[in-house]
Amino acid sequence: MATINDEDFERILRPHLKYLDSGEPVNPEADLKSLGLDSMSAVDLLFDFEDEFGIMIPDEEMVDSTFATAGALREVVNRAEAIS
Amino acid sequence: MTTLRTTPRSAQDGAVRSSVVTALKQVLPVVSEQKRSVDASGSFPTKAVQALRDTGLMGLVVPTELGGMGGNLKDVSFVARALAGECMTTAVLWSMHCQQVLTVAVHGGDLLRERVLPAIARGEKYVGSITTERGSGGHLLHANAPLLRPENGDSGGYRLRRDAPVSSGALHADAFLITMRAGEEASPDQVRLVWAERADVEVVQRSVWDPMGMRGTESVGVQLDGTVDADAVIDGDFRAVALQTFIPAGHVAWASSWLGAAQGALRRAVDIFRDPKQRAQYEVTSDRFAVRLARIRLELDMTEAFLDRTLGDLEEFCGPNASRDVSEPAFQIELNNLKVVAAERTFAAVNELIELVGLRHGYLNSSPTRLEQVARDLRSASLMYADERLLLANGKLALLDRNSTLP
Repeated sequence: MATINDEDFERILRPHLKYLDSGEPVNPEADLKSLGLDSMSAVDLLFDFEDEFGIMIPDEEMVDSTFATAGALREVVNRAEAIS
Repeated sequence: MTTLRTTPRSAQDGAVRSSVVTALKQVLPVVSEQKRSVDASGSFPTKAVQALRDTGLMGLVVPTELGGMGGNLKDVSFVARALAGECMTTAVLWSMHCQQVLTVAVHGGDLLRERVLPAIARGEKYVGSITTERGSGGHLLHANAPLLRPENGDSGGYRLRRDAPVSSGALHADAFLITMRAGEEASPDQVRLVWAERADVEVVQRSVWDPMGMRGTESVGVQLDGTVDADAVIDGDFRAVALQTFIPAGHVAWASSWLGAAQGALRRAVDIFRDPKQRAQYEVTSDRFAVRLARIRLELDMTEAFLDRTLGDLEEFCGPNASRDVSEPAFQIELNNLKVVAAERTFAAVNELIELVGLRHGYLNSSPTRLEQVARDLRSASLMYADERLLLANGKLALLDRNSTLP
C-alpha cells in the first residue's frame, strides 16, 4: 500500500487537467473528464503516478470508473501495491 | 511464475473447457521450465509431453465414450495458444498430435478406433505424422511409396516402406499416421492414411535437425519399414479425409500455435513497457511509440479474429452437424488463408516488436521477453507447407467463387 499525501497527489494530477483554473482546488468529487482528462492522457497520468510513487496499478483498475473523479483515482492509487 | 493469462473469449464454449483449464495449470509450469533447454539443446520436450500425457490432454479430442476428454478444434486451439505462449515447439508437437488423433477419431474404422483411441486417452501414445516424401514435391495429397501385400501373404495386413525427409518428433512417437499410395497399381493421387504402431515398424534416422528455430521438434528425416494390420488402413481416399479433417485440423493447430507464441511475446514486452523501473528507456507515452505498438497489436488481433471466424465456420462445414459442402471454394480459400495470414502476420508482428523493443530486450537471447527465440520459431511458419503453394491454390479458387466473400 502506498500512502500519498494531498499535495503530491495534486501535483501529479493537476498538469493533466487542462481546463482546471490554476487557483482552483481539486475536489474529490471533481469530474476529471470535464476538467480535461481524456483516455489518451489517462495513460500518461497513470504512468506519472507509477513512476513518482514506485507503484504498479493493476490491470483490473484500467477502467473508466478509476478515472471518473479525483476521489476514485485517489483510492485506486492508494490501494496500488508498491513494486519491489 | 506461470499463470494462465490467455483466455480467448470467443473460444470459451464447450463442456470440456473447465477440465482443460485445470489440466493446463498443471502442464504450463512444466512447459515453462523446459522452454529454454528445448531451444538451446534442440531436444524434444520430453517432460512437457509427459505432463500432457499425465493430465489427459493427449486425449483431448478422443471421444468421451473411448475415455477421452471429448474436445473439439476450438479446444485444441485454446490449448495450443496457451502452450505456445510458453513454448511454441511444445504447442506445435502437441497440436499436430491432436490433428492425427482427430483424424483417426473421425475417419478410422471401429476396430482401429477401439484399439488405439483409449490408449491415446490414457496418455500412452504420442502420434507422429508422416506426410513428407522425397519426390512428391511436398504435395500433401500425393504419395509414391505403395502399400504392399506382405511377401508371405498369409495375413490380411500390409507391408510399408516409407521415407520422410522431415517428420516432427518421429524418434519419440509411439505411433504414426502415414500417407501411402493405395497400392502398386494406384496413381500417386490415390492415397491412403495408415496407422502404424512404433513396435511394428523399424525407424531409421536419415538426417539431423539443426534449424534456426523450432529446434525442439527434432524434425529429422526417417525411414520406416514394417507391417500393419488390415484395419490400420483408414477407409476411403485421403483427399476426402484431408479436406474434411486433416487440413482444417492442421491449419488450426499451426495458426493457434503461432498466434499464441506471438501473443505471449507481446505480453512479455508489454510487461516491460508497463514496469515503472524499465519503461524509462522507452518513450512509451510518445505518439510514435503508441502508433507502432498499435500496429503490432492490430496484426495479432486480426489474426485472432480470422482464426476464431474460421473455427466457427468449421462447425458448419466439418463438424458432426455439418450442413455445408467442405469443397466449397470460399471455405477452401478461408482455410488456406488462415494458414497464410497467421504465418505472415504473427512473424511480422514479432519482427516489428523487436524493432520497437530494441537490442537488449529484442535481440538478446537472455531477455525475459524471449523475442529472439519466438522470432526464430515463427520464421518457420511460412515454410511449413509453403504459403506460396496455398496462395497459388487460392488464386485459382478465387476465380471460381464469384461471390468473393468469406463462406
